[in-house]
Amino acid sequence: MRSPVQLQHGSDATNGFHTLQPHDQTDGPIKRVCLTRGMHVPEHVAMHHTHDVGPDQCCSSVVQMIHAPPESVWALVRRFDNPKVYKNFIRQCRIVQGDGLHVGDLREVMVVSGLPAVSSTERLEILDEERHVISFSVVGGDHRLKNYRSVTTLHASDDEGTVVVESYIVDVPPGNTEEETLSFVDTIVRCNLQSLARSTNRQ
Amino acid sequence: MAGICCGVVGETEPAAPVDSTSRASLRRRLDLLPSIKIVADSAVAPPLENCRKRQKRETVVLSTLPGNLDLDSNVRSENKKARSAVTNSNSVTEAESFFSDVPKIGTTSVCGRRRDMEDAVSIHPSFLQRNSENHHFYGVFDGHGCSHVAEKCRERLHDIVKKEVEVMASDEWTETMVKSFQKMDKEVSQRECNLVVNGATRSMKNSCRCELQSPQCDAVGSTAVVSVVTPEKIIVSNCGDSRAVLCRNGVAIPLSVDHKPDRPDELIRIQQAGGRVIYWDGARVLGVLAMSRAIGDNYLKPYVIPDPEVTVTDRTDEDECLILASDGLWDVVPNETACGVARMCLRGAGAGDDSDAAHNACSDAALLLTKLALARQSSDNVSVVVVDLRKRRNNQASS
Repeated sequence: MRSPVQLQHGSDATNGFHTLQPHDQTDGPIKRVCLTRGMHVPEHVAMHHTHDVGPDQCCSSVVQMIHAPPESVWALVRRFDNPKVYKNFIRQCRIVQGDGLHVGDLREVMVVSGLPAVSSTERLEILDEERHVISFSVVGGDHRLKNYRSVTTLHASDDEGTVVVESYIVDVPPGNTEEETLSFVDTIVRCNLQSLARSTNRQ
Repeated sequence: MAGICCGVVGETEPAAPVDSTSRASLRRRLDLLPSIKIVADSAVAPPLENCRKRQKRETVVLSTLPGNLDLDSNVRSENKKARSAVTNSNSVTEAESFFSDVPKIGTTSVCGRRRDMEDAVSIHPSFLQRNSENHHFYGVFDGHGCSHVAEKCRERLHDIVKKEVEVMASDEWTETMVKSFQKMDKEVSQRECNLVVNGATRSMKNSCRCELQSPQCDAVGSTAVVSVVTPEKIIVSNCGDSRAVLCRNGVAIPLSVDHKPDRPDELIRIQQAGGRVIYWDGARVLGVLAMSRAIGDNYLKPYVIPDPEVTVTDRTDEDECLILASDGLWDVVPNETACGVARMCLRGAGAGDDSDAAHNACSDAALLLTKLALARQSSDNVSVVVVDLRKRRNNQASS
């Protein structure tokens, strides 16, 4: 059985996907993993996609190429207050603390039917308008993704498009393997980024 | 059966003898349930193609406000609440009866405890004549992600099936239904393009939540259980986890098998397609979708496919009724119980001459099954279609 994590998409340059497997750099209970290793990315991008992975945690990243300048993509990605503009699985979102522009602001998202989740409370961790970096962490909600934290970066590609890198780290829930957890989250993230590409091109 | 009835009706008439064979008694007991408003609409529905008999439409409005969901507590406060039916956007319930000599149907579709109504029901009696025989179409669609794929199935699938059946060589029902479902799936997938060009249809725009969000939602789908009933046969096509059950001489015969990702043959199919089933709050395709087949859900193709499984069943004199329902019913009510309830309602009405009574009986059955599902804490939308399959005593009509 082929695991979608090792996605054949990974080597399929035509659809712009690369799903990266974590690379161990140190031994011990906490591993530092750089998810953009082997890619040509700006230094700050590499830094943002480097995670310290504890025991019973896992991390991965999805890369999406978009044929539009980073500014156009950023206009959608920066909307911590309105992730619905490109995330199909979100039914509703409201800011419950702050205005969605400052670190520490909280949003509560309701998830569409048919998914193994109902709601999620998320905290804005990074919003770097200059370098096009956004990060949020999950602080509550009715789902199985504990201690989830994601970082999304945009940088210009050689052909005047945008490279979107979204990486995440999350606890492996009891009853599931690391591989299953990555498979599930990658499916969601990949779907979001594909939708981001379509939404950007429609603008 | 009386026990079930008592369970639903609760403590209204603890000492009253339960006459499960009397339709009048059943109707009276249904009427006692609080928060139900029966609106008899005298408006005559447009005549059906081949059926110009008197038609009457009956709408039952069921309140499903959270506070009203516990039927027992409703019953206790019945005197205060009775007849003060409340309608809100979250509680639109419709039970329709088509009064004519063919066929006799009852349907109920309620939002229940869910925030959104994503079920859709499609009833098209005499949707097709073939070899001078009347064919009837019944469908239940349970949407996920949003309502628009289920809505689209409700609007279109009977037309697609009709066109396919009209060019069907002999009785190639399986092939015809598979083709129809695939066409339906294509229409749903291509809908985005139509939208951009023509704009959405009004009904869609009004009813579809995600329309504003993104015209191209890959992550929306629907189950489809469809039955075409001819004078001789019952053809059931199923894709997803809604279900059709035949009640024959008191025995519940499932005419479809749910498409769950952990069904052994479905699991193998998914794995052979390169997908995987992950137990993530139940068995799910890639950990996401809890069914292995559906209309729509482009993002999970080719693991999740729109191809239905088709059964063709010869009708017999012992057939009593056909129940189509979404998993909002089947998750909490076993096939046998559902058949028992429907049978009791139909028996109360008796077969044959009194067409109105038989229609009411089908509506009663659909409503009672829905109430039972809500009483058993169904957390989903609940949609039920009950079709009377008993042959007339006087043999006036064969379906």
